[in-house]
Amino acid sequence: MIEVRNVTKRFGATVALDGVSFRLDKGEILGFLGPNGAGKSTAMKIVTTFLAPDSGTVSVDGIDVLRDPLEVRGRIGYLPENHPLYVDMMVHEYLQFVGRARGLAGDELRRRLEWVAEACGLGSVYRKPINELSKGFRQRTGLAQALIHDPEVLILDEPTSGLDPLQIIGIRELIQSLARTKTIIFSTHILQEVSPVTDRVVIINGGRIIADGRIGELERAAMGRNRIFVAYRAPAAEAEAALRGLAGLHEVRPVAGREGAARFEVRTDFGQDVLAPLGRLGQSRGWDLLELQESPFSLEDTFIALTRQGAAPREVSHV
Amino acid sequence: MSNIGVIFRREFAAYFNSPIAYIFIIVFLVLNCGLFMTPFFLAQLADMRDFFGNLPLFLIFFIPAVSMRLWAEDKRSGTFELLMTLPMKSSEVMLGKYFAAMAFYVVALLGTLTIPIMLSVLGNPDLGAVFGGYLGALLLGGLYMAVGIFTSGLLRDQISAFILGMLACFALFLVGIPAVSATIDGWVGGLGSFLQNAFGLMPHYQALQRGVLELGDLAYFLGLTAVFLVLNAVWLEGRKY
Repeated sequence: MIEVRNVTKRFGATVALDGVSFRLDKGEILGFLGPNGAGKSTAMKIVTTFLAPDSGTVSVDGIDVLRDPLEVRGRIGYLPENHPLYVDMMVHEYLQFVGRARGLAGDELRRRLEWVAEACGLGSVYRKPINELSKGFRQRTGLAQALIHDPEVLILDEPTSGLDPLQIIGIRELIQSLARTKTIIFSTHILQEVSPVTDRVVIINGGRIIADGRIGELERAAMGRNRIFVAYRAPAAEAEAALRGLAGLHEVRPVAGREGAARFEVRTDFGQDVLAPLGRLGQSRGWDLLELQESPFSLEDTFIALTRQGAAPREVSHV
Repeated sequence: MSNIGVIFRREFAAYFNSPIAYIFIIVFLVLNCGLFMTPFFLAQLADMRDFFGNLPLFLIFFIPAVSMRLWAEDKRSGTFELLMTLPMKSSEVMLGKYFAAMAFYVVALLGTLTIPIMLSVLGNPDLGAVFGGYLGALLLGGLYMAVGIFTSGLLRDQISAFILGMLACFALFLVGIPAVSATIDGWVGGLGSFLQNAFGLMPHYQALQRGVLELGDLAYFLGLTAVFLVLNAVWLEGRKY
């Protein structure tokens, strides 16, 4: 549906995108992650035909963005990073304007207006001037604008930035409800926002794609090893020695735990079952097992590890 | 509705969504009619020569003030990205904006029709010259507006766009004045006359003011207007790269 191939974009001496490639199939949702200034917005602006790539090709639904930009624009709903709102207009006037500019008229326009007002929860502010709206409502108006023509592709640049937690949940639910029928790219630098919506992510840093795949795979690729926390009611030194004697543990590190507990963080290879041996170890020594849990790396850990490795781009088995 | 029409409607309404439009129109009418009426009672002539004579200078301030927001405001507020990702050509967006600004100017100009109506009641004005004068005012405004929308596109800040537009319009005005072209001729032989013939607007404007309709004068205004609109369109496409 969306195919970005080897795209490079420079602004003067700055290289904003450096050989970026990724693809997205119909109906997929892609979380586009990266620190501020990584090139997320630039990539989105190229897909939406606002900017042209210096080299490389981008196509949406098989249509090249340089060859037929108007056709591409017609299929895309786009929410730019800073609210693209005319603050001198009322919400309904603004949405009517965008709807007409996108070729809607008459009954169809009326139906779509009703639908977006409902879907984006704009009922209470529908006839208010935009400059009186709160940030949350402005963001929703921007989203409504992107949805007015029922596009196949949605490109949302930081749709939840600056919103409070409840508003974030609202936007997230809206994106999820659209997921079944639309192809969506949304960018964010806040990692927790990705996993509830999708597990397909592309991480970009310094203008290069440093990871592309499913969140679980990326964690493995980034961190290399699994992490397990285990705690026994036992003398710390004795427990540590015993753990070091176990096969399959790469690292044993004492960490703070409860009073009287010897707690450790151990690393193993992915796919290796060490939970059972760890449990048996306690039984055989007569130590109470206080804690035994596999602790997946947070997306943050992954993100930081990947952006640090960033120099070497890696391709994780593609979805 | 056509693409240009959709943009026109939004942009024209935008002028009247803020009090600035009304202030602009009132200032336009008070200054123009005031400047005209003061000597009118002394001269006791039923013509509008003074009125149209003031316009080229007056519009140098007025038109860039109308056109300064056309792109600069969108670029500042983020709506520029919205407009440039609509499924229509950027030149259509531009023309919608241009015609909206022109319509606003025409509304202001219509307000001055009280003068010819008054003249017709009081005396017997040369209606051909009045008509030519209004046509000149329209074409002159159209040229200044094209310069103004072009400079508005170059800048993100409305005030800078206003000043740049004013300077550009002033330059077109100046090179058409014989004294100025003669001075430039004194520095570089022939340059002043060349600029006057190629770009100077006063000779063409004065011909229209006399009620003389000549193809060359129309071609000058329409051609130069088209040049600035095309430059604007080229800039809109070129900015992508």
